[in-house]
Amino acid sequence: MEEIKPFEFRQCITIIKATGKKAKTLREFKDRIADASDESISHHVYHYFQKEKRILEYTNDFAQWAGETLKENILAEQLSNVDPYSFKSVNDLRDEIVGVIDAYLKTFSKTRAVLSGDEFYFNEGVTLVSPVGMQVKNLAEFLIAIRYAELESIYYHFYEARLRPPVEVDDFSHWFGDALNKTGLADRIRSIDPFMHSLEAARQHIIELVEDELKNDMEKF
Amino acid sequence: MELKSYNVSPFKLKLEDYIGIAPKIDLLIIQKLAERFAGRKFLHINSAKSGGGVAEILQRMMIILSGLGINARWEVIEGNGSFFDITKRMHNALQGNPEQISQDMWESYYEVNKSNAEKIDLNADAVLIHDPQPAPLIDFKKSGLWIWRCHIDISNPHLKTWNSLEKYVEKYDAAIFSVSKFAKDIPLDKFIIPPAIAPLSNKNRELTKTEIENVLATINIPVDKPIILQVSRFDRFKDPTGVIKAYRLVKRYNDCMLVLAGSTATDDPEGEKIFNEVKEYAGDDQDISVLLLPPSSHIEINALQRAATVVLQKSLKEGFGLTVSEAMWKGKPVIGGAVGGIPLQIIHGVTGFLVNSVEGTALRIRQILNNPDMARKMGENGREYVRRNFLITRQIRDYLSMWYIMENKGKSVLEL
Repeated sequence: MEEIKPFEFRQCITIIKATGKKAKTLREFKDRIADASDESISHHVYHYFQKEKRILEYTNDFAQWAGETLKENILAEQLSNVDPYSFKSVNDLRDEIVGVIDAYLKTFSKTRAVLSGDEFYFNEGVTLVSPVGMQVKNLAEFLIAIRYAELESIYYHFYEARLRPPVEVDDFSHWFGDALNKTGLADRIRSIDPFMHSLEAARQHIIELVEDELKNDMEKF
Repeated sequence: MELKSYNVSPFKLKLEDYIGIAPKIDLLIIQKLAERFAGRKFLHINSAKSGGGVAEILQRMMIILSGLGINARWEVIEGNGSFFDITKRMHNALQGNPEQISQDMWESYYEVNKSNAEKIDLNADAVLIHDPQPAPLIDFKKSGLWIWRCHIDISNPHLKTWNSLEKYVEKYDAAIFSVSKFAKDIPLDKFIIPPAIAPLSNKNRELTKTEIENVLATINIPVDKPIILQVSRFDRFKDPTGVIKAYRLVKRYNDCMLVLAGSTATDDPEGEKIFNEVKEYAGDDQDISVLLLPPSSHIEINALQRAATVVLQKSLKEGFGLTVSEAMWKGKPVIGGAVGGIPLQIIHGVTGFLVNSVEGTALRIRQILNNPDMARKMGENGREYVRRNFLITRQIRDYLSMWYIMENKGKSVLEL
């Protein structure tokens, strides 16, 4: 019998670096995004899911600033609907964001400047990844481990994994389908909307789905 | 002038003492990085051995780093009254006050640093210089990575002062700011690392009810009314008179008392003057206590924060405002000025309230005094938020991570 490839829990933290660049108006914001490094775009879009303070009605830092600080709510909603995982490169993602702001400015050209101190500050992130020291080989072990795992581990496997080639899906569903041959469970995990959950809520959804799968497995005997 | 080196006592708290308190991930990453940096020299230099958050954290951090096998050392530069008068002006100017600093003063500031450089062993693998006072030491760099750690809000500095200081800052390999908006557009790596509190120190450890009562009795604070508390240095940027104004608005509706407690620091010559001004402004109101405590009054501050019903940090300018995290760690709802690093700690309506005026402060105090269930929930949220984000272990994790990143420049993902 072929040995099952274990799932190794890992986790990551992000250390933030400031670029020193900031934007006070929507036009400046657009120009700075157009010029920002790939690391800066990635930080404000992908690393957003790491934040505990994030406001769940928005899905990235750009949308949050547009809505919360600039009070351009329509733009914030439009930027929140950009799916960052649907682009082949950060450059394509940047073009889409700039395009959304451009289109908005054509309709609403008179936007206000924010007060000093409320500007958008462009940062970058450096990610440090480390193993947790937990390896699991079946669903029952997985269930124990995911309950014990830190939120930084949930982020690494459920969000950050989507950027890692060649698989570009979350690590959990990939392991369920690939190593455990649980394609139904994998599909159900992939149907969890990553943008609409906090890390803790995402963990709870995954736990519920795995519990259901285990229950069904046991009922078969 | 005699220099003192604050080497670490190996008998105090080690990293393992934080198991069950700090997030597991922080402890794990610290351990992994410490293995890489074992035996290497990590030097910190600041200008005050006590008083203020920087000295408090350095005391604890040295113990933990040394316990992990890192050759950690903390040095304090020495200067006379004139030096600290210049650096206090500089501190105020960097936070936006239009102070006059003459060329002679800048030269004297440099000379004091030069004199310190001759006496301090500056050889290390990584050197963290805290705040503007010792910034010119970079001119005497011998080896290793040199990082300037800025603890204050320099988002809108008096430009002439910043331009003079910038000449030194630009020579560093990297800079650390507490909040993104403090970071200047200077041509070096700029890390964002918020400061943190030490949960097991006398200022933050659990206290029994009896301990709290005994301590409050010794400093003559009665416990028969809800206590509104602000703990901070006596400094105009902390707006102590604004706090008294807010208390007076609250007092029309709710019986309560106000405690303003702070200590002096060796690098702050203005403290006593402001203290006297605040005392005078408080007048003969028996429900206002203005306490000037010695810098070692950690248990007293701890007891006051635990006895308080609501804690304020109504700053007009703030580097970070560690007293916010201290109070949140004790499960207290905190009302803070929406400046500097305070919005990073207070999630408005979740762990406390952010305010912009005396009237706003009074309104939020009344809201908390009249809604004990809401206050309790905010306190619980605050404690967990601090546990995950503002404990000393997270700060050590970030300092070591920054060092590791600096030694692996150009990579956006690093494996440990």
